[in-house]
Amino acid sequence: MSTLATAFWLSNIVLDTAGHLSFKAAADKKAAESGSWLRMLHSVYLWIGIACFCLEFAVWFALLSLIPLSQAVLVGSINIVVLMIAGRLLFRERLDRLRVGGMILIAAGVALAGGAI
Amino acid sequence: MTRRRIAIGFCALIFIDTWTQISFKLASRQTGEFMMNSHWLRAAAVSPFIYAAIAGYLGAFLAWMTLLEHAPVGPAFAASHLEVVTVLMLSVLLFGEHLTAAKLAGAACIVTGIIMLSLSEARAPLPDHHA
Repeated sequence: MSTLATAFWLSNIVLDTAGHLSFKAAADKKAAESGSWLRMLHSVYLWIGIACFCLEFAVWFALLSLIPLSQAVLVGSINIVVLMIAGRLLFRERLDRLRVGGMILIAAGVALAGGAI
Repeated sequence: MTRRRIAIGFCALIFIDTWTQISFKLASRQTGEFMMNSHWLRAAAVSPFIYAAIAGYLGAFLAWMTLLEHAPVGPAFAASHLEVVTVLMLSVLLFGEHLTAAKLAGAACIVTGIIMLSLSEARAPLPDHHA
């Protein structure tokens, strides 16, 4: 991948992860306060998440204009792995052996498809 | 929700996600390679395929929320990522992309990894507030 494509790919990872984590934070806050869905609209996290996903849309489109779709969809799968690591670090989510194995396989697959191996 | 309807929901989610990616690629063929100028942005804004992709994003969000309410999270997780397979097939059929041995091996690893993650999700106890 070119430098520009790599930059878009990395931005996509950051935005996707930040978007999902923000949604998770908004949902947790709603559960903790037993608030309604409508009250969630006042949550800053919800709007940060929406902003991240809007930007991600633009970044993903720019990436697709530079590299083949088949390659993009494969290297984009790394988002799953990064999100699970972030969930573990920030929300103490469980990582069992099966999950760690799956994450390693996905990372290896991304490296293969991206031409790193 | 019956099993049959859940299965239809899974297929719908994979279909919508695939639709979105194909629309993105079709739009990018109209705009050409990314350039930081108003010409490129205008080309993107007038491409009908961009709006098809936006509709796909919204549809996938609705399908995902509906599925999560009724279906087990493991299979739902898999369905939300297994569009990798359909997108790969269509990228060859529609856009004539070439799948190298490395790409195919990578795809096999990724799909196996996604299935392992779904199995792990299916086993995990549900958090309290979802019970």
